[in-house]
Amino acid sequence: MIGNDIVDLALALKESNWKRKGYLAKIFTKLEQLLIIKSENPDNMVWNLWSRKEAAYKIFNRNTEVKIYNPIQFKCYDTYKSIGKVMNNGVVYYTKTEINLDYIHTVSVLNITDFESIKLLNRTNEIIKIEGIPYLKVANNKEMNPISISNHGRFEKIVSLF
Amino acid sequence: MNKEETITKLKEIIKPYINNVEAFENLTEATDFIVDLNINSANLIDIMLDLEDAFVIDIENQDMEKMLDVKAALEIIEIKLANK
Ligand SMILES: CC(C)(COP(=O)(O)OP(=O)(O)OC[C@H]1O[C@@H](n2cnc3c(N)ncnc32)[C@H](O)[C@@H]1OP(=O)(O)O)[C@@H](O)C(=O)NCCC(=O)NCCS
Repeated sequence: MIGNDIVDLALALKESNWKRKGYLAKIFTKLEQLLIIKSENPDNMVWNLWSRKEAAYKIFNRNTEVKIYNPIQFKCYDTYKSIGKVMNNGVVYYTKTEINLDYIHTVSVLNITDFESIKLLNRTNEIIKIEGIPYLKVANNKEMNPISISNHGRFEKIVSLF
Repeated sequence: MNKEETITKLKEIIKPYINNVEAFENLTEATDFIVDLNINSANLIDIMLDLEDAFVIDIENQDMEKMLDVKAALEIIEIKLANK
């Protein structure tokens, strides 16, 4: 299973004022807030953690068919390791986060070895949506491969497992 | 405050964050903040904070969890106002 989330850093700066009173406490655990406050680049840490939560949430949403808005319950761990974790209700979602000057992109999987089989797709691939959730049609058979799409501002990433 | 007034106030609050004007103009109880109004999911937090200020209520995480559409938001606001 796979999920991803991208944040356009320039757009995030414009769209969201995370410094406003009460904002961080609604999204982030005490531990995560500490990571943000102590970070050399608090802006990036906010969106870094946020993209992890959203990527994990996409797997949760696909697997449970539940729609909720409760980011604080998707808790980030091991954020300084190359493979991080998001925990929700005892379920571990593994995360890999790419950070550059323009965007932050997190890919999340349930099975850690799936990181070896991640493929980037684009819109020329045949994508179908079932109840808003995207799949890739696999040629020559009727199977459908779960994929995850994320776009924000100038960027879009589409990922699948092959 | 009656329901009409609550909806009017709610609409005022969400307006700065919407990315789909048509869906906003045709807003009903079934309107979904993210799917229909294309509100960025991080901006939902701003909406929660704005609602707390405007109605002078506290929105807990268990409340916020369900507040993904107009109907759910109205229900939570009504309960909070009634319990004040
Ligand atoms: C699913 C959701 C998180 C999408 O996030 P977003 O930041 O608004 O938008 P993104 O561009 O990253 O994702 C949108 C794409 O994801 C796809 N998608 C929706 N659910 C998905 C899922 N469970 N798994 C993978 N992809 C999914 C959509 O088809 C959409 O594709 P499109 O660009 O072709 O329209 C959002 O729509 C949603 O339902 N949020 C509700 C609650 C929430 O945000 N919780 C987070 C913390 S608990």
